[in-house]
Amino acid sequence: MKLAVVLVLATVALVILGFIFPVHQATTPGIVSGEALPGVGGSTNTPEAAVRSLLGDVQAHDWSRAYSLLANTSDVPKEAFIHDVNGNYGSLRTFSSLEGSRTRVLNENGDQALVRADMHWSTAVGPIYDVRELKVVRDNGSWKVVWPLEKQPNVPPQVVPVNYLRWDVIYRGPQDDWGTQNVDSPQVRIVSMNAVQNGRNLVIVGEVVNEDTVPAFVDINAILTGKNGQNLDEESSFDKIQHTLLPKQVSPYRIDFPGYNLSQVKSVRMEAKAMLVPASADPVIAVLNQHEQTNVLGRKVLSGDLLNESGRTVNIAQVLATYYDSNGKVIWVSDGYVDRALLPQTPEPFSVDMPDSTVGQVQSYRVTVNHYIRQQS
Amino acid sequence: MRRAIACPTGSQTRLILCAAVVALFLSVTCLAADAPQVQFDISHIGPRQMEDVTGRNIPRDWGRAWQTLAVAFEQNQPDLLGHYFVGFAQQKLAAAIAAQEKSGLRTRYIDHGHKLAAYFYSPDGGAIELHDTADLEIQVLDGNTVIHSERATLHYIGLMTPAADHWEVRLLESVPNF
Amino acid sequence: MLRLLSATCLAVCLCAATLVAAQQLQVPATITAGSGFAIPTTGSGTATFYLVGPSYATKREVNLGTEIQVSPREVRSAGRYIAILRHDGSSESGSFYVLAAKPASLSFLAHPSRVPVAQHDGIIGVAFVFDKWHNLVRQPQTVDFRLQAKDAAAVSQSVRSRDGVAWTLMNSGRKAGNMEFIATLGGVEEKRVIQQVASDPCHLQIKAERNPKGVLVETEPVRDCSGNPVSDGTVVTFTATDAQGRSTVDVPVKKDVAQAELKLAGPATISVASGVVMGNEVRVGGQP
Repeated sequence: MKLAVVLVLATVALVILGFIFPVHQATTPGIVSGEALPGVGGSTNTPEAAVRSLLGDVQAHDWSRAYSLLANTSDVPKEAFIHDVNGNYGSLRTFSSLEGSRTRVLNENGDQALVRADMHWSTAVGPIYDVRELKVVRDNGSWKVVWPLEKQPNVPPQVVPVNYLRWDVIYRGPQDDWGTQNVDSPQVRIVSMNAVQNGRNLVIVGEVVNEDTVPAFVDINAILTGKNGQNLDEESSFDKIQHTLLPKQVSPYRIDFPGYNLSQVKSVRMEAKAMLVPASADPVIAVLNQHEQTNVLGRKVLSGDLLNESGRTVNIAQVLATYYDSNGKVIWVSDGYVDRALLPQTPEPFSVDMPDSTVGQVQSYRVTVNHYIRQQS
Repeated sequence: MRRAIACPTGSQTRLILCAAVVALFLSVTCLAADAPQVQFDISHIGPRQMEDVTGRNIPRDWGRAWQTLAVAFEQNQPDLLGHYFVGFAQQKLAAAIAAQEKSGLRTRYIDHGHKLAAYFYSPDGGAIELHDTADLEIQVLDGNTVIHSERATLHYIGLMTPAADHWEVRLLESVPNF
Repeated sequence: MLRLLSATCLAVCLCAATLVAAQQLQVPATITAGSGFAIPTTGSGTATFYLVGPSYATKREVNLGTEIQVSPREVRSAGRYIAILRHDGSSESGSFYVLAAKPASLSFLAHPSRVPVAQHDGIIGVAFVFDKWHNLVRQPQTVDFRLQAKDAAAVSQSVRSRDGVAWTLMNSGRKAGNMEFIATLGGVEEKRVIQQVASDPCHLQIKAERNPKGVLVETEPVRDCSGNPVSDGTVVTFTATDAQGRSTVDVPVKKDVAQAELKLAGPATISVASGVVMGNEVRVGGQP
């Protein structure tokens, strides 16, 4: 009670001070990320400068100027270039902006050069890094970029029947008497949980299954209990989980506790919350050709292709990769957003990090896909 | 005659706002007075065992329900019942308040604490029956005149069901004995 | 002297008790809900009668020396009532309890609304007994719980209520489908519908056939261990491992079967799983 009174008085005092001594708006500190790109109309007298000038125009959304810096405009229509860089079909890239980039000349030979551009995109779901190796050629004294546009296969016009199951829910009304039957929340079960120290962060990974016959919207919470029995912290899986689970579907989850160490923790209490939601079994997204590889930056990644087997576009896809050791225990869960839309029947590559600490221990893995479709009917 | 209306200046506005904020906080503090003491006994509970969190929330919400009831009956404000009372409990108590207001009456409950025992906890966790021994002072007022005053130990049977973030009282009945 | 003191104390106590008794209204200790009664009064003139109860309060002028009629409507809610008679600035009062009348309704809670087949004590039934004015009937009553499935014998249990509540646990049947769960007390009946659903898939088997587009993989009809087909929409995961890596696809069951076309050119090993249940593996050769 005394504490409550002290807190109330302190709050009142602070509010009064805030009114009497208002703080003027401070300037927003700039966030430095990578190298600053030149403004519109930068120099093109070196390969690196040409690439940076192009990226500067992209950052400024000056598409005409950026397109004029391409060497292969006869192969790359302007619209296709803009869609490739700026995104289309409501993809994640359409909600992103180029924050900055680092460029490095990999090799230069007479009138040709290869420049690596490590681009940092700021998106609605966090940063996304895109690395491209761009061929640059000298044309009439100035360097221009050969834009590597990947031609997407044309999906022939066709009718794709959708006859997968769809669930709708009718709930009990507010006027119904107590005891009137209602639909129960779905039964979900956490099938595994593993606490992992990842640098300075404690991470809880595992899997959850929807044991019911109806779709479930699932979230997992974890509460850390310290050695003295007090709760240290509580976090949720946030977006590191496939939230909508169809019957018998299994999803990985990952819960991050920044700044905590395993040695501080006596126990972890897990809570799986499940809600009954309308859902559809469509679209079906296949994950093809999953394999481990090392990317151009020397990092171990799990790569593959996503194939949207339905007839409508998936605007945003998120890949969740579960890594298992030789005992079948979940040792890590990583995720990555695909910043391009998944067009019907069209493979789209993906790549997610494999942390260095897990590389030697991974015996197998499993990839699942979260999806978001705008204006879902 | 046109009267000039003085609009408050900037500093006056700030002072008025400060005073309003202080008043708001003070009123909230007054309303948020301590709920009555509730001793909770789960030694005879069945068939479901009580979870730790539920074991803390039930006596907390029972105490808050009684606190709400006391204020509602003293001030003849049935709307206050909505958060901790539901269903027929809410309807009956609201009817009592409406009837006493119509007759110019008020009832004052001075709560000296409760000994609450969990009697039945349904296997799915959806309902709990409680036996409450309450130490109460009850005053009935006609206008501002106390026409009846007593202190008594009373027995109540309560039924609570879970809402979104707290437990609600669905039944509150005084009984001669357990 | 000591005897005189004791006698005086006794006399004082008796007088005080008499005085106190004179200030109590004569009301019954308990009555049944909805039963009117009368309160005798003495003296002459008028007084103000107050009745305060769990869902009722009233104030009216009465004549002393006559009976105060308390109507059935005023004592419908079970609980403690205070009756007060105020005259010339002083009050007489009495309290009484109203007890519930005979049972007239049941609040029947049945859980869950969906239950896997063949689950021991998987179905919970809790019934609260109320009278016609929604008062809890504390007197023990016999509540019959009955589970009735189509084309199956009914299963019943009779339970004696205690302090207004009766409960039971019952096993779910082996056949998927809707069941009626009924609670009965005298002429009062409450019905609920429980949906028995298939359990986890059992003996998950696939077959694979190569075609020009790739490999068509199909499950045998997916059933649980009791032979019930799993619900449409149950997700089955096909995993194919070949030289290119691993490919997976989550496919929902439609009409008992899940099917997928995997674009595999070379030899591959294909396995299947649903939830935490693994199925068999098949090997397919490369394209001819």
